[in-house]
Amino acid sequence: MTQLIPLADGMFVALLEAVPDAMVCIAADGRLVLVNAQAERLFGYERAELIGQPVEILVPDAARAVHPGHRAGYVADPRHRPMGAGLSFAGRRRDASTFAAEVSLSTIDTDEGILVAAAIRDVTGQRRMKDLERSNHGLESFIYTVAHDLRAPLRALSGYSELLLEEYWEVLGEEGRGYAERIVAVSEQMGQLIDYLLQLSRVLRAELHLQSVDLGGEAAQIAEEIQRREPLRHVCFTIQKQVQALADRRLILTVLQNLLDNAWKFTSGRDDASIEFGTASGGDAAVCCYVRDNGVGFDPAYAAKLFQPFQRLHAARDFPGLGTGLASVRHIVERHGGHVWAEGAVGGGATFYFTLDGKESA
Amino acid sequence: MTSQSILLVEDNPDEEALTLRAFEKSNISNEVVVARDGAEALAYLFPGDGDGPRPALILLDLNLPKVGGLEVLRRMQADARTRLIPVVVLTSSKQEEDILDSYRSGANAYVRKPVHFSDFADAVRALGEFWLLLNEPAPSRGPESD
Repeated sequence: MTQLIPLADGMFVALLEAVPDAMVCIAADGRLVLVNAQAERLFGYERAELIGQPVEILVPDAARAVHPGHRAGYVADPRHRPMGAGLSFAGRRRDASTFAAEVSLSTIDTDEGILVAAAIRDVTGQRRMKDLERSNHGLESFIYTVAHDLRAPLRALSGYSELLLEEYWEVLGEEGRGYAERIVAVSEQMGQLIDYLLQLSRVLRAELHLQSVDLGGEAAQIAEEIQRREPLRHVCFTIQKQVQALADRRLILTVLQNLLDNAWKFTSGRDDASIEFGTASGGDAAVCCYVRDNGVGFDPAYAAKLFQPFQRLHAARDFPGLGTGLASVRHIVERHGGHVWAEGAVGGGATFYFTLDGKESA
Repeated sequence: MTSQSILLVEDNPDEEALTLRAFEKSNISNEVVVARDGAEALAYLFPGDGDGPRPALILLDLNLPKVGGLEVLRRMQADARTRLIPVVVLTSSKQEEDILDSYRSGANAYVRKPVHFSDFADAVRALGEFWLLLNEPAPSRGPESD
């Protein structure tokens, strides 16, 4: 039983009002003798409506019958029970709606006998967050499992159509071969989609290993590799040096690779192609970078679509690709607590921005 | 009891047929024995009455019914009679954990099955040529003393 310092009545009531949680005090017979303003607000009652009522008025209908038993049990063995000590309850508001609550209990020895003091906190929000995290995690595993399991039938699809082409070339005839070739081609596409899903689940699930990365240095290296792949194309790269950022190196390299690959791809029709990497002012973010090109650009009306998976703004025959690169970029940047956006005009080039927060987002 | 056979541990009949076809297309003419899950593979390697057959190469899928591929690897590692048989994990997973777990459990190689049959056939041929022709297997001296 807890009473360290005797308090004057007024002081006790003032203390009761000062705590952030809803507080109610219950006499030995289970009737409410004191409630604070937070309790009035939480349960939707006026003080006068509560005082003198059995505490069960605040308990959901389903638990009302057993509650007096719990109460008697506590009074018989009144150890202090802090919040989070396994006391998960539901509370009942005046309008009969209920909410998830955490309750801590202690006793107060007074001249009129023992009072039980209960602090009640609405934890609906926290519960919902936890549920959301759990279901997100479930979703990530689900994506992985589905993508992984799709590979087996896909391999059979692709494998047997290739065998058809190889071993029944004559029998199939020209039209038949054309059909089989279509199956092979779409299997290839499906394989890339599955790989995207696997990569996505990896990005969503991966633990971020944040370290200081020189984005400028990395961008310069990627640019060099891209140039080496197609030595006949002339592209002017302008890359800002020494752009330090806190990021997961492996993931942020995927971002730079995707953005620079895109810039390279969408400037392929120009003799005077130029690609630029640099930093801009990005509001509160620790770092704001951009990749700018003078390629075909895009219609700004569709700017938001760019970062959706499997969306393409250009015909596949003009610019090959699945439309998953920018979606990956967005996922990775958002995992880093940053965001992405794009500016551009048809025929006027494109600029892709991303910010990094230097912190991991949940 | 070292034989020149290949043990293929694969539960998917489509994959099995493709793998057998890939072997046919290569120059590997060794007999291929198929086990359809981990338990069947273990029963083949450890028949219960004395020494089982010693394949020259095992191609092992990871995701298998009953007993998984990693468990097969561990059981083989724990037994001196099977410890030195080369095992290639042949799977569609490229999860880092799977790769690490495979090596930790004693796999000699890890190959992710390519989607295209032509690539897969190339991979199977390369595996056969390396492990059956180029690689020098551990000499068989009967059960080891450790």
